[in-house]
Amino acid sequence: METKIIDILNSILLSKNKEIITDLEEKVSLRNDLGFDSLDLATLSVRIEDEFGIDIFEEKIIDKISELLTILHNNEEFLGRSK
Amino acid sequence: MKTTLITGVSRGLGAEIAEQVINKNDAFVIGISRTFSDEVKCLAEKYPDNFMHIAFDLSDYENLKNIYWNTLKKIGQIESVIHNAAYAYDDLVSNANIQTLEYMYKVNVLSPIILTKYSIRDMLLNNIKGSIVFVTSISAHKGFKGLSMYASTKGALEAFSKNVAKEWGAKGIRSNCVCPGFMETEMSSNISSEMKMKIFNRTSLKKATDIKSVASSVAFLTSDESNSITGQTIIVDCGTI
Repeated sequence: METKIIDILNSILLSKNKEIITDLEEKVSLRNDLGFDSLDLATLSVRIEDEFGIDIFEEKIIDKISELLTILHNNEEFLGRSK
Repeated sequence: MKTTLITGVSRGLGAEIAEQVINKNDAFVIGISRTFSDEVKCLAEKYPDNFMHIAFDLSDYENLKNIYWNTLKKIGQIESVIHNAAYAYDDLVSNANIQTLEYMYKVNVLSPIILTKYSIRDMLLNNIKGSIVFVTSISAHKGFKGLSMYASTKGALEAFSKNVAKEWGAKGIRSNCVCPGFMETEMSSNISSEMKMKIFNRTSLKKATDIKSVASSVAFLTSDESNSITGQTIIVDCGTI
């Protein structure tokens, strides 16, 4: 799962000519540390949904990698698909 | 072949838009409407490789997510969406019935917003510089007795479209409206001929708005020819004064 998330984050970072990441640090802020704007976050949410079947912003807007991972881990649909 | 979603294809204007979009843009049209009407049957027979129909009641907007994931996403990338379906509640606001009003807002406003949500998400996923068109009404701009509630839904769509254009322009996604005047369609069939003459006499051209002229404006806005046009409303109404 983590590799796929890194790939998705890097595809957005590359489209903005920004340095890619090699691992997921929980404290990292999507907005402040990775420099994602609202359209980047929208792109992130559709790519995550396409991959894992989860709309990460359906309940609220999240910002930290830790929040992203929590949503993915807690989602039963994801757990079912990852078996 | 570019996939174009069109709502409300079962009757006059929607069916005409489908035909013009297929012919002008060589599009694959997914027509959404409640009923498999004679017009839909005609489109399916005439364009077997360019048209398919989905039976869906747009007042059931909460199920649009399922329609997207289970049907639309499997068919192909969405390139254009034409929001044409509408319910016309014609009455004085002093008689407003909440149930009818809610139904109209579900079909005319909530459903287009939710369908736009999934269409834009699909365009983002596939890097499509898509086009969204809302069919509105001249009643959103000029006053007509009995149309205040209906006009309010069309005004909402025009405001929504303008802001969608601003939100998604950076991704190359365009949003525009085509605003027709009064046409001779089933929707206006319950208006008396006396009232119709009164309405037509308010136009510069003194006649009903031509359905083909409205449909070709919609087809234009979904074609590459309009790639520099967004956030606009094209009024096709014989010049209402």
